[in-house]
Amino acid sequence: MNKTLKDYEIVVGRDAISQLKQISRDLAGAKVVHVNSTRVGGGVAEILSWLIPLMNELGLETSWEVVTGTPEYYNTTKTFHNGLQGNEVILPQHMLDVYEETVAENAEKLRTTLEEADFVFIHDPQPAALLDLCPNRKGKWIWRCHIDASHPNRKVWNYLRSKVSGYDASIFSMPQFAQRMDHPQFIIAPSIDPLSEKNREMSQDEIASILDQLGISGETPIITQVSRFDRFKDPIGVIKAFNLLNSHIDAQLILAGGGATDDPEGAAVLEEVKEAARNNDRIHILMLPSDAHLTINAIQRASTIVMQKSLQEGFGLTVTEAMWKGKPVIGGNVGGIKLQVHNHHTGYLVDTPEGSALRIRELLRRPEKIKSMGMIARKFVTENFLLNRHLREYLTLMLGLRRGLSNHLIAN
Amino acid sequence: MKIVTEKKNMPFNIKDCTLITRMAGIDTAMNLRELRERLKICPIESLFHHFCETVIRPTFDDPEFRNDFAIWAAHNLRDRILAERLGILNPYALDDFEELRLQVLDIIDERLSQLVYFPWSPRGQEFQFMQAVTVVFETGIRLKSPEDLIRKLPQMSLSSIYYHFVEARRRTPDKTDDFTTWLLGYGNGVEPLLKSLQGIDFYFLALPELKQKLINAVQQVNPVSIS
Repeated sequence: MNKTLKDYEIVVGRDAISQLKQISRDLAGAKVVHVNSTRVGGGVAEILSWLIPLMNELGLETSWEVVTGTPEYYNTTKTFHNGLQGNEVILPQHMLDVYEETVAENAEKLRTTLEEADFVFIHDPQPAALLDLCPNRKGKWIWRCHIDASHPNRKVWNYLRSKVSGYDASIFSMPQFAQRMDHPQFIIAPSIDPLSEKNREMSQDEIASILDQLGISGETPIITQVSRFDRFKDPIGVIKAFNLLNSHIDAQLILAGGGATDDPEGAAVLEEVKEAARNNDRIHILMLPSDAHLTINAIQRASTIVMQKSLQEGFGLTVTEAMWKGKPVIGGNVGGIKLQVHNHHTGYLVDTPEGSALRIRELLRRPEKIKSMGMIARKFVTENFLLNRHLREYLTLMLGLRRGLSNHLIAN
Repeated sequence: MKIVTEKKNMPFNIKDCTLITRMAGIDTAMNLRELRERLKICPIESLFHHFCETVIRPTFDDPEFRNDFAIWAAHNLRDRILAERLGILNPYALDDFEELRLQVLDIIDERLSQLVYFPWSPRGQEFQFMQAVTVVFETGIRLKSPEDLIRKLPQMSLSSIYYHFVEARRRTPDKTDDFTTWLLGYGNGVEPLLKSLQGIDFYFLALPELKQKLINAVQQVNPVSIS
């Protein structure tokens, strides 16, 4: 069941909710459409799951549309994704043709809705080409890039830029990800929903019961990385780090990954991970369904340390989730992880499996540090990375675009 | 202390504000020389953002310096001398932000003349020129008398405190806070309250600290009820 603004008051405070109501007054009745490429799996779908009902509750007529396509289309958009993150990729013309044909097919279904909307948020590259296919659009179109595009592959970026430069504005998660374009570029960090199944409080009995079902002992310290089986998340690096721990250190590793319908590489990476973990019964690899939110919640809460040893990362919502649960995070020194993990305060930033192993060992030997870091981490997330801040910034952006983006606007 | 206020019908509408940051449209600066060149042409709004809006931005802890240029010099260029010289600049003590720009450029020029090699930031930690869009809105809270300020200040959000006590100095003719401007309309009776507000050195305070200082300051003043 969708949560209401009233439900969130308990967590974020009455003032924060009151602010949202006041800001949104000027936007009441505005038609808003969000478009992405999957309803389940991955951070974008999770954000939209709470954003849409809350925008509706605030009086904006908000809907969520999803573009669909063939496996070849998803291969192409995954290539875009990898390229934006700086990978060398091969992007032949026939892949671009598949992309454009698929988006054109989707445009046939979505055109009326999109052209009538006051605000259209297009998430990531998958639906980006819709703009040019909706010539009679009346509202403001915003491209929301959730990817670390700080050093994109030039061929991929040059192609995508031709699709997104016509937008009225774009949003990036960090200033470092922004690219030079003629339209305004805003910075909005993502956030988590503290009351979702993935983040709500759980009793010890609930946690124990889920661990039991997974066949995992709660007696031995658990080190966890939750993320898609994706090479950028470096699950192999996490296994290497774990294997570097002295065998006298009593710990177990969980690599828990969900699939996303728009990620065709997941199965191949999962096989590589299984191979790397073979013969080590202290490593648990869990391929979870995309709706296993409560299971992930339980695993994160049962963990002693959470890792996110990404090599590239847009923001890293799994980091936010772990910190919300009072866990120190050992994270890759990249992207949005740097915004959340503050060395020696909320966890450690690392660049290598060796660095990860060092910090795991240090934390396991200093349990008081696990506790103090966890407390700071939770406070930091409460103040900065919960959904009320995220929603407030979306509303502010919409007001700004509607009023002409002067630096100082008075709402009615 | 007592406040004796005239009975005037001068309500003060408490406003709140929210900010969203955007890129200023200026290339990033990778070294001190580039910072100087970009600073020369960046919008005033960007200077304001990096000097004054830092206080309302999420930060992990109490930063060492209040402006982004000093922080970048310290942490990314690793030039503490430059950081300290930039860090002492108080934008509210100057006539306008063009004057501030000149002072920053002067400090950088002086530093460049002292260095054999100008410092570079590590890759990925370049200076990003930003600015913000601020949306101001009514809260529905109204102060009907100076005594209301004492009572209702604790209810104000941090962003509301920022708007009325910090940001106000940029938009009011006297470069003062909104409370002071409002209280001045009450004549002589509110001097203790004015004095306590003016005694707060806000520039180096984080917003929660500033709010507490304001509450402490006004609560020291003992209001006399007005019949």
